[in-house]
Amino acid sequence: MKRNIHCYIMLLAVAMVMISSCASHPDVPSSSKEAKCQPAIYPDYCDVTIPCNIAPLNFMLPADEFTECVARITTADGKQHTYGNGVKVQIPEGEWHEMLNASKGKSLKVEVWGDKAGEWLSFNPFEIKIAEEPIDEYLSYRLIEPSYVAWDFMEIAQRNITTFEETQIFNNEITCTDRASGQCINCHSYQNYKTDNMLFHVRKSNGGTVLVNDGKISRVNLKRDYTISGGVYPAWHPTEKLIAFSTNLTRQSFHTSNPNKIEVFDLASDMILYDVKTDSVTIVSNDSILLEVYPTWSSDGKYLYYCKSVPLPEDMKGQEINVIYQKIQYNLYRRSFDVATHNFGDEELVYDAASADKSVTLPRISPDGRYLLFAIGQYGCFHSRHHDADIVCIPMDKYTGTALTAETCSAVDMSPVNSAGYSDSYPSWSSNGHWIMLASRRDDGNYSRVYFAFFKDGKVGKAFLLPQEDPEHNTFLLKSYNRPEFMVEPVKISVDEFSKVFDK
Amino acid sequence: MNSARYLTSSLFGFAVVLFFGLAYPHHLHYQEQFQLFLFDSNYVCDIIKQPGGVADLLGRFCTQFFLFAWVGAVIIGLLLTAIQLLTSRFVGDSWLYGLSFVPSFLLWIFLLDEHALLGGVWAVMITLHAVCQIVRLPKGWQRYVAIVVVLPILYWMVGPSWTGSHYYRYPNVAPTLLYAAWLSAIVIPLLAYVCRKWIKPSKGYVVSLCSFVLVAGAMGSIVWKNANFKAEKVMQYDFMASHQLWNRIIETANAEKPNNQIGVTVQNLALAMRGQLTRHMFDYNQNGIAGLLPDVQSDATSPIPTAEAFYQLGMIYVAQRTVFEAQEAILDFQKSGRCYKRLAQTNLIIGSYEVARKYLMALQKTLFYREWANETLPLLEDEEAIARHPEYGRLRKSLYKESFLFSDHVTPEMLEDLYFSNTDNMLALEYLKAYYMLTNNREGYANLLLKLNKQ
Repeated sequence: MKRNIHCYIMLLAVAMVMISSCASHPDVPSSSKEAKCQPAIYPDYCDVTIPCNIAPLNFMLPADEFTECVARITTADGKQHTYGNGVKVQIPEGEWHEMLNASKGKSLKVEVWGDKAGEWLSFNPFEIKIAEEPIDEYLSYRLIEPSYVAWDFMEIAQRNITTFEETQIFNNEITCTDRASGQCINCHSYQNYKTDNMLFHVRKSNGGTVLVNDGKISRVNLKRDYTISGGVYPAWHPTEKLIAFSTNLTRQSFHTSNPNKIEVFDLASDMILYDVKTDSVTIVSNDSILLEVYPTWSSDGKYLYYCKSVPLPEDMKGQEINVIYQKIQYNLYRRSFDVATHNFGDEELVYDAASADKSVTLPRISPDGRYLLFAIGQYGCFHSRHHDADIVCIPMDKYTGTALTAETCSAVDMSPVNSAGYSDSYPSWSSNGHWIMLASRRDDGNYSRVYFAFFKDGKVGKAFLLPQEDPEHNTFLLKSYNRPEFMVEPVKISVDEFSKVFDK
Repeated sequence: MNSARYLTSSLFGFAVVLFFGLAYPHHLHYQEQFQLFLFDSNYVCDIIKQPGGVADLLGRFCTQFFLFAWVGAVIIGLLLTAIQLLTSRFVGDSWLYGLSFVPSFLLWIFLLDEHALLGGVWAVMITLHAVCQIVRLPKGWQRYVAIVVVLPILYWMVGPSWTGSHYYRYPNVAPTLLYAAWLSAIVIPLLAYVCRKWIKPSKGYVVSLCSFVLVAGAMGSIVWKNANFKAEKVMQYDFMASHQLWNRIIETANAEKPNNQIGVTVQNLALAMRGQLTRHMFDYNQNGIAGLLPDVQSDATSPIPTAEAFYQLGMIYVAQRTVFEAQEAILDFQKSGRCYKRLAQTNLIIGSYEVARKYLMALQKTLFYREWANETLPLLEDEEAIARHPEYGRLRKSLYKESFLFSDHVTPEMLEDLYFSNTDNMLALEYLKAYYMLTNNREGYANLLLKLNKQ
């Protein structure tokens, strides 16, 4: 009996290996017609530069045009592997990482054939350059329907970028005590790419800010009598137990005929500094008229950068927000910060976007402090919903105390990163400063997806989509990737452990 | 004696089918529109990996057939009859026979609630079936082994009964009636076992028949008293609006004038679609603006008929937002076939083809929306075909030419802008006039007439 079971298991294993090898390593077509163009693969990985540790770049040919796809990948040392399963090319993780290791600092050559109406077409080969610089191993994001007011299930998830493993950090179901009112979770944030000090907000039912301080979880209320709201957009100081937040009175309205669909704006917004050790909140700025938002620290923690609205023309003051929202524009400022005394210096205008009739949001300084990323659009502070929003990168050595403008900033050419006519926003740097991440709605205009681009010596590579095990995953996924953040390690606290903080 | 059992079970099943088919069909339509059963391995795996997932999956699978009320009624009839037959195996032919109908009657009462999910009924049936199979085994170690094996499997299939699994749409509400049905399915066989010494089996069928009549009479009246026919009427209006049965809506309103928000909204839409709104609106109950274009509420039910009005008016972005909000408000986080369809349509009309494609590709994985999705997919990016389409072409012409912001409240300016940007849109004019009449805004109405005269 025991012997039979062993035989059965062996047979099953052999059969599985044979099936998998047949499915993923097809022969290259013996004859084909030249298409004389590169293949229209999805995601578009043609001629991209990728990190040497990323998960397989699985892709596919359009299913409504092709019935089969075969890809032959040639590594820098001349080894060749073929893949193809229907119209999809899905590469086993082990083989892929071997190919990356063999081609580090060089390129993979990818040749693609597609069966269209019974005839094989051969496309012009493309290259995938393998950068020697790795990408941070983890990424976290909120998965949420691109909603208006109501929402249903949402989760903050973390993804291992070197594999396809995705796990949940928290969801809005486990501690929700009032389903009719619902629960919203948002603004996950980490100190210096690490997860022992992190936070996220829980709004509405059973609300509070969940704070992890040296691995210990607590739930805090950041609202004070003297603040207009609890903490909203957070920024951990890179070395101190301090978190800068904006406080916002946010509203939204809806378009009757505009692909942006919704407008999100602040009626008021200020900035606060939260001291984790003493649970104290101090005001950083609370201009009664102007709006301050999106704080972010320089990598050395000596400056706090933020966006601040410019004064409205006199004739517009006091008018309804629905009328003047397109006139609200933000510039980029910074204030020096004394780590010893926790005092801020005077405000400096770093980038004057309004002079070019633009509005700047979501600044991020590169880890070496040499470059500044931000999103720019014509107006407002919520560029993830603005189809004209693009990412801008400027070298900080151009800033000598006089405000930079579009003309004077010598901006990096970001055309390989930005999409035409779709929102590109929420830029961030990997911890080594060589990878830019952004959230873009370029795939369909509605659902945000995570894109990466290589950055080195002031030059940026073509943006490419976060790879998925099934290349069709993003086609069917009716959720947006919201607020993508790099991490060098996973969040080690489980959903259940986080939920226990709500019992207290 | 068997014939008496078959007769009573058949009578019961027939009554259930007639009830849901004739008196409660729109509750079944309502159930169907708050779920989207996908023939997709990820969807199925996500459900069955939870404790209680098998019962939930079977419930969802059956609920998709509720699109056709009679099919749904037959499914419920078969399920409740099967549960009665399983219970009756433990109850002899005696005065206790009628009690074998109690679990099924309790489930029937449970299903009168529009938030009760069919998975709960499946859970009771699977449990009863497992118990029947175990009891059939000879006493001794085989039975004990079977219990040890079956219990974890049962836990996976029907879940922990005390948490309710996914048997009720409100996750935090304990479905008491379902528990009562479950409990009765255990207590009644035990009672029959305990009472076997005192209540002797009867040889004729009269005793069993009488006990059936007693239970059926008592519990049948409870069913009838607990049935929510007011909600059924509201759901009927919603159903007719979703199928654009404008004449039938007016006929129904003529027979009994609706006095609830959804009924009045749908009645006014039907009158407007037939060009009768301003002439005849005061022949019917009105509820001010709340009966014409109500503010969007944060629930899954009331915004959907309002969204139908927005859609027909050509306020496509507004309709899209309203349908989206309604779907997001479904309490058990399910999606809706009806909402997906409308979201695909609105995205198609505004030219957001890739988003429309996403919804259509999801609908291709369904049983009853697949055909529509297959027919609609070729329209994407085919501007001429959309322009020729009787519905989409008309609605695309009605789109706002210039965008402005709105909140939850529709204003007459929104309707005025809609009409004057496309004066073929007579529905917008009807609604605008009705708006002024319902708000008694004579100045607004007079100004409108002036503008119309200048045209």
